[in-house]
Amino acid sequence: MRSALANIGRFAFFVARFLRAALRQPPPEGKTLQQAWSIGIRSLPILLIIGAFVGTNLSIQGYAAFHPLGGERMVGMFVALAGIRELAPIIAAAMVAAKAGTEMASQVAVMRIKEQIDALEVMAVDPLWYLITPRLLGILLVMPALTILSTSVMVTAAYLVAVYQLGLSGPDFIEFARQGLAPLDLFWCNLKALLYGMVICMVACFCGYFSGPGPKGVGQATNAAVVTSAVLVVVLNYFISELAYG
Amino acid sequence: MAESEAGFIAFEGVSKAFGDLSVIQDIDLPIERGLTTAIIGPSGVGKSVLLKLLVGLIRPDEGRVMAFGTDMATADLEAMYAVRRRMGMLFQDGALFDSLSVGENIAFPLVHHRKDLGDGERQDRVEEVLEQVGLPGLADRDTSELSGGQRKRVGLARAIVHQPEVVLFDEPNSGLDPMTSDAIDALIGQMKEALGITFVVISHDIVGTLNVADRIGMLYGGRLVAYAPTKEFVRSDVAIVQRFLKRNVLLPGSALDSARLPTPAELRGEES
Repeated sequence: MRSALANIGRFAFFVARFLRAALRQPPPEGKTLQQAWSIGIRSLPILLIIGAFVGTNLSIQGYAAFHPLGGERMVGMFVALAGIRELAPIIAAAMVAAKAGTEMASQVAVMRIKEQIDALEVMAVDPLWYLITPRLLGILLVMPALTILSTSVMVTAAYLVAVYQLGLSGPDFIEFARQGLAPLDLFWCNLKALLYGMVICMVACFCGYFSGPGPKGVGQATNAAVVTSAVLVVVLNYFISELAYG
Repeated sequence: MAESEAGFIAFEGVSKAFGDLSVIQDIDLPIERGLTTAIIGPSGVGKSVLLKLLVGLIRPDEGRVMAFGTDMATADLEAMYAVRRRMGMLFQDGALFDSLSVGENIAFPLVHHRKDLGDGERQDRVEEVLEQVGLPGLADRDTSELSGGQRKRVGLARAIVHQPEVVLFDEPNSGLDPMTSDAIDALIGQMKEALGITFVVISHDIVGTLNVADRIGMLYGGRLVAYAPTKEFVRSDVAIVQRFLKRNVLLPGSALDSARLPTPAELRGEES
């Protein structure tokens, strides 16, 4: 318990120190787009595959739930609500945490054990500014795009299964999906994506920055980054959903 | 030549422990401007801790670490950065950034602290220091293609590119074969002649140290057991110094005390 509290305190101090450094100078030149490209490209294929197959299952489960009640036309609404409001941002966050988050944590941890972070300090370059700013901006640039792409693929896959496998009406699917959603849902969906991106980046960099020595330390930092990010994202998701729809 | 200057660089009554483990105790060590000071001692006696204290990467539990008039023990980040900009440091493995080329690594301090320099001037300076460390034309090389000795040289080039007043060397010979190690010692000697600035070398390699150092201090059991000009140091009558010298280099006439050597605990004044 004491260790958990100490880590929370250390994380808060870490974020505060980063914010102070980041607000005092512009981000390192040329690094942000490089990070955005890297995060986006690495996470995209797996995200599209997962998004598509989550969409297919939403249709199947929605159909299984509504068909006995004679409400199978509601499958489109179910897919839109569950997919866009909850699953798309969560899945995008999970995939980005698994791909980009682990990579960030291991990169920073390797820099720690190879004394590269000490070298930055000795060269009077704030390591938090140099390492986190481009990664944070990069992830903030791509998270909404990844979430929108994952949503599109999810809904398209759900539509294909609903219409061509389950025999539901295509226009009904679209109409009910449209009725179920409000423009504000897209706002909350993207806000979630941005906040999750922020959490993933800060947690990954924190775990890497305070990595233990040697390859074991790198492994533990990477593992801690993905586990902590996943837990925080799910907990945060509850509070945002409660705020938005509760 | 040697210029004593209060507050230039000095350890004053410095102690540091990690948890229950006391690493260094009550160290008083002045570093003189323009000279090469070497700190030697067996592995694990806190030599690297001394360097980290000097650049402010860790803070002492007691005492003052003065650098250019700033106490690194209490300085805030801005003051610390101001001191660090006047220093360069060669890390054990070079600590080169894998994502940058050799030239980009060397130019790193200039990019961040010499905004007045254009790309061309920066490249010229990088080529100049690459030449100084014996690696001309390697600026575009990937750091993963470098040998251990080349990594040290590139690390040294990065440490001197911004013309610091003090260069710190953390185990410059570690992990190198004897030939490469000799070459690095020779390079440090050349740099000393060419730059005429203050060097602080942390090493367990006594042979190389004797060749480059003007002053040598020895850490043992957490304490500075000897500190003297090199010629006096090798004639020191401190038993542990003689033992260390004799085990590492044959010195005719050195007065090895064959009596029982004190343990680190005894040196710290603790009862066994």
